[in-house]
Amino acid sequence: MSGHEEVGIKVLGVNHRTAPLEVRERFAHGAHEVPGALARVMAAGAKGGVLLSTCNRTEFYLVADDEPAVETVWALLGERLPSSPAGGAHEYGYIERDREAVRHLYRVSSGLDSMILGESQIQGQVRDAWEASRAQAGPVLHRLFQTALHVGSRVRTETALGMGTASAASAAVAVAGKIFGDLVGRSALILGAGDMAELAATCLTNEGVQVTLVANRTQERARAIAERLGARALSLEEAWPHFATTDIALCSTAAPHAVVTWERVGHVIAGRRGRPLCILDLAVPRDVDPAVTQMENVFLYDVDDLQTVAAQATARRRDEIPAAERIVEEETDLFWAWYGGLGVVPAIKEFRSRMDELRAAELERALRQLGHLAPEDRARIEHLSQALLTKFLHEPTLALKQAAEEGRGYGLLEALRRLFGLGRDPDEGGPPA
Amino acid sequence: MRAVILTLHLIALALYGLATALTLAPFMGLRSAPRAITIALPCAGAAVHVVALSRLTLVGLGPALSMLALCLVLLQLASERLLRGSAVSFFAGPLATGLVGLAILSGLAPGAEPSGGRNVWFILHVALSVMGLALLALAFIAAALYLLQFRELKARRFGQVFQLFPPLERLDQLNRFALVGGFPALTLGVLLALGYAARFAGGLHVGKAQIVWGVFTWVVLGWAVWVRLVRHWAGRRAAFASIAGFSAVLLVYVALKLAQPGAERFL
Repeated sequence: MSGHEEVGIKVLGVNHRTAPLEVRERFAHGAHEVPGALARVMAAGAKGGVLLSTCNRTEFYLVADDEPAVETVWALLGERLPSSPAGGAHEYGYIERDREAVRHLYRVSSGLDSMILGESQIQGQVRDAWEASRAQAGPVLHRLFQTALHVGSRVRTETALGMGTASAASAAVAVAGKIFGDLVGRSALILGAGDMAELAATCLTNEGVQVTLVANRTQERARAIAERLGARALSLEEAWPHFATTDIALCSTAAPHAVVTWERVGHVIAGRRGRPLCILDLAVPRDVDPAVTQMENVFLYDVDDLQTVAAQATARRRDEIPAAERIVEEETDLFWAWYGGLGVVPAIKEFRSRMDELRAAELERALRQLGHLAPEDRARIEHLSQALLTKFLHEPTLALKQAAEEGRGYGLLEALRRLFGLGRDPDEGGPPA
Repeated sequence: MRAVILTLHLIALALYGLATALTLAPFMGLRSAPRAITIALPCAGAAVHVVALSRLTLVGLGPALSMLALCLVLLQLASERLLRGSAVSFFAGPLATGLVGLAILSGLAPGAEPSGGRNVWFILHVALSVMGLALLALAFIAAALYLLQFRELKARRFGQVFQLFPPLERLDQLNRFALVGGFPALTLGVLLALGYAARFAGGLHVGKAQIVWGVFTWVVLGWAVWVRLVRHWAGRRAAFASIAGFSAVLLVYVALKLAQPGAERFL
């Protein structure tokens, strides 16, 4: 019997490396869909399950004795691909087993497996997935996810993997943050309706910035974005006076020349009485006339600047990969040692004690029937029963210990429990219920 | 006793020096030390420093410099919490280390008593004056950090200063807090010195130059506070004003020390 045919930890799913966005979108599960999906997998024989679904990955973490549960997951995902027959999902996916599955989750929670290396959002997503799957997770996955969060924290505290900002949109937040510090309550104005501006605006709103105005040549598009961001739409010409009050201006028009010029906003900015204004020009060609930066309190950054900030952060983060991987390996070893030896010692004790009780009961009954025997003969029979029991138990005990050392203890314990009706839960005192 | 005080000061100096070196390491292309260490070292240094100062009478240049260094370290640790970063220590660390070094070189001996005896007036005068000076030094540091960060942000340079220095607005807030707190503390400290001299030391024994330059310094500092509070200066202009204020304190102090060296008086 090979390792992966026994009860073991598995992860299967898709991520940003194996599936394009349009496929990942289909596989994504909302929080309300998680219990139903896991119930199906549990019905197929899984003993525990957690579903991690983010915009970059959909992964099922299972404790399962393989094929039925795995096939169910692929079928479940395959049903979301209308043009493909059920089961076709595995073409986009991967499956990792046992130690590799543990390592995989630790890399995920550390941000090592993220599209943006070292991003911290994943830590919260792992926590949310664990919380949402709490009822179905089971003791092994509880422990696994609990330690995964610990590994994520360790990597972020002991290495600089999460330092800096590694995307242009988050670089926009970082640059604004270096001017204003706390961004909560700051106001932002969007000029133009480009995707990049909307993305950066979303990043800013996540930090507490209030996008109050969206200005565009076509009002319809401005209105659509304004609605999404809870802002007011207006025309470009109406936007200039608002340079007197806004803290951040995001510019992303499709104009072929600069639209934010000294003539339009110079006198307005002069009225700010020194209050800083951060202008993020995300348009190519640029929207903002560089002459505007002559005003002392104006800080202007274009796409190149933001990409420079992001690239520096990414380079620094890459240097931290070896240190982060070392932590992941260390913690994987620790988990594997725990998982391998999971309940083996108490189970062996219980197993031996149960067998000894049986031996004693049978011996007593036999000796009652053999009342004529001399005391030394009775002692000899008792000794024989003990020797037989020791010999019978020797091989199973060795096999259990060896399986524990190889990280397969959990599966064998399951078998032992079933075969000998051991009542004790081997996970007692381990992970949280 | 003298050896104990000196040893304790040397230990504090070593701890401050080590913390400063670790804080400045990123500017030399080295890895940043864990934040816990860069906080723990000056904390340990400050603890040793407090023990050393408790054995000294705060009379004369050496003890005053030593106490100023301690106040600066304590303010640095407090501002680290406010700024959520170690940027103040880029300046405060070397300054505090240098002040302890100067204090050791100036001589640290216990036992010298103030001419009017040690009483509440004297203790409050020393505490407020030194805390006022430390706050003005902190305002100066915050202003310098502000100007450096401002220059980098305007020039779109995203190097170590951009990465390691705090945001402009937080530095501006720190500068305002330190300046507005430091000026009245120093003023009250000087007034207490005048009262102490009149009541307990048989009158004020200061030269005309000291009075003239002292008033000049007070006016410059008062102007820096006035433009902050009344004219609502902020940012770069306010940073220059507080740099001017602290520079006036330093220049006048050095000039007076050179012109009229005196062992007993710090100011």
